[in-house]
Amino acid sequence: MAGTVYVVTSGKGGVGKTTTTANLGGAFAKLGLKVALVDADIGLRNLDLVLGLEKRIVYDLVDLVEGRCQSRQALIKDRRFDDLYLLPASQVKDKESVSEDQMRIAMRKLAVDFDVVLVDCPAGIEHGFRNAVAGADQALVVTTPEVSAIRDADRILGMLGSRRARLIVNRVRPEMVRSGDMLSIDDVKEILGREIVGVVPDDEEIIDTTNRGEPVVLDGARRLGRIYTAIARRLLGEDVPFTNLADDGLLVRLRRLMIGS
Amino acid sequence: MDTQENDASRPSAALTVEEAIAAAAMPAAATDSASAVAARSPGKPPQALGRTIVITSGKGGVGKTTTTANLGTGLAEAGKNVVVVDADVGLRNLDVVLGLENRVHKHLLDVIEDKCSLDDALVRDRVRRSLYLLPAAQNREKDDVPTEAMAALMQTLAARFDFVLIDSPAGIEKGFRNAVVGAKEAIIVTTPEVSAVRDADRIIGLLPPDVEARLIVNRVRPALVKKGTMMSVNDVVDILRLELVGVVPDEKEIIIATNRGTPVIDIDGSQTGAAFRRIVRRLLGDTVAIPSFQAPEGFVSRLKSTLGLGKP
Repeated sequence: MAGTVYVVTSGKGGVGKTTTTANLGGAFAKLGLKVALVDADIGLRNLDLVLGLEKRIVYDLVDLVEGRCQSRQALIKDRRFDDLYLLPASQVKDKESVSEDQMRIAMRKLAVDFDVVLVDCPAGIEHGFRNAVAGADQALVVTTPEVSAIRDADRILGMLGSRRARLIVNRVRPEMVRSGDMLSIDDVKEILGREIVGVVPDDEEIIDTTNRGEPVVLDGARRLGRIYTAIARRLLGEDVPFTNLADDGLLVRLRRLMIGS
Repeated sequence: MDTQENDASRPSAALTVEEAIAAAAMPAAATDSASAVAARSPGKPPQALGRTIVITSGKGGVGKTTTTANLGTGLAEAGKNVVVVDADVGLRNLDVVLGLENRVHKHLLDVIEDKCSLDDALVRDRVRRSLYLLPAAQNREKDDVPTEAMAALMQTLAARFDFVLIDSPAGIEKGFRNAVVGAKEAIIVTTPEVSAVRDADRIIGLLPPDVEARLIVNRVRPALVKKGTMMSVNDVVDILRLELVGVVPDEKEIIIATNRGTPVIDIDGSQTGAAFRRIVRRLLGDTVAIPSFQAPEGFVSRLKSTLGLGKP
């Protein structure tokens, strides 16, 4: 049976797509699945840095779709996990150098060999976005509880076609939710009207681990590591409970914004 | 990290602020139509073209829109005629950050496609009367905007305003190229994180060689720098080798301000707001020192410095 291809997308940049891809991939791998991570941000790649694999790149996604290498040559094994591989993006090409059809075919082939394929989408809704989405069965939409990120997530949800799309709410600061300065998870769910599969708190640990190229999920004892593992298990169909957060009053403005536009 | 790959194609050191202002104040070769537009209110004398500055980054979410909104607000409060242009067609947000989202009716593409006049599309800020927003279309695509038309529109705006600040979308596709095409200056926004610095490096290499680029390092957390888990501003400047025009500390007020649609530059007591005010003054040619944003000192070291014992 072919594996599932997820695109990790958001519309807005900097909300945590690449960090989510790396850590969720690590979480799936720790649960015993065979995982491929695909960097679709051609020209502005970063998944290699977050995984600490930047020095091992020889071939990339563009080489693969253009037939200059085999997939086993382009895929870099992350030795810290049993079965986690990275298909890096080219840094010097541009996004137009790959077509949606080429992406679709390449992802189908990966899904034969892997249980889970996570495609790290570039920011925006241009060609790079369409490429990243082309080969995906399902979508994980990453957002933060901020007005601009939610507006962009709403826009992108309308561009995913019939794919199942679930939300990961990132960088939640519970104390700001409680003081009424940040939207709550319930607000986000109500506005975007999709299932929430994960809630990730804002934690400065993520800056450190990203700068060092060590996904936080490597350490299963860490709070964020446990959270990403829980998301992976939910995606596999398990019923894993998560804690709820307080309500607040920013909802009115955002609701008006969505209905008004 | 392959941060040196674009060195050869990089423009040499940026002009000083004074030189840039002198260049901007030179007699302009304004076209007849531009002069005619400029003669109308709001505006400025037609003899001088305003400064066109693109705010860009490569990586998303590093603070381009927040920077554009705050610098636009600050320049308007300093008495300049300012237009902020949202070049993120399809994913606009500058209207939200400025709290003007309910007043957007027409947009940049309507102007380019001659469906309305420039004045119909410009949204005037209620408080800072010399600040205008040219919003992006939300239901169109970046490929719909012809690059030449974008360049021409920025020229028209430069004939009318002292400052044209262009909020670039993330990435390096058509939206980025359109945002950059009409600009004479660039402000590169980055954060002290490896992925943001790498993307900034890439984008610096993609700027046209005649664009003067300067750097803002955003979201600096002094406590993390001190702990050694965040790059320092000096590290970032060493890698990117651009003139530094500002350092902005991270603080939660920025999230509150953005959610409320009030630029943080107007919030008293905000360190982030103060940092943007200093950048505005530097853009206007003043020499303002960049503070070092030391981490809050502990009780002992504070006591030591009070006692004149110095720091280790």
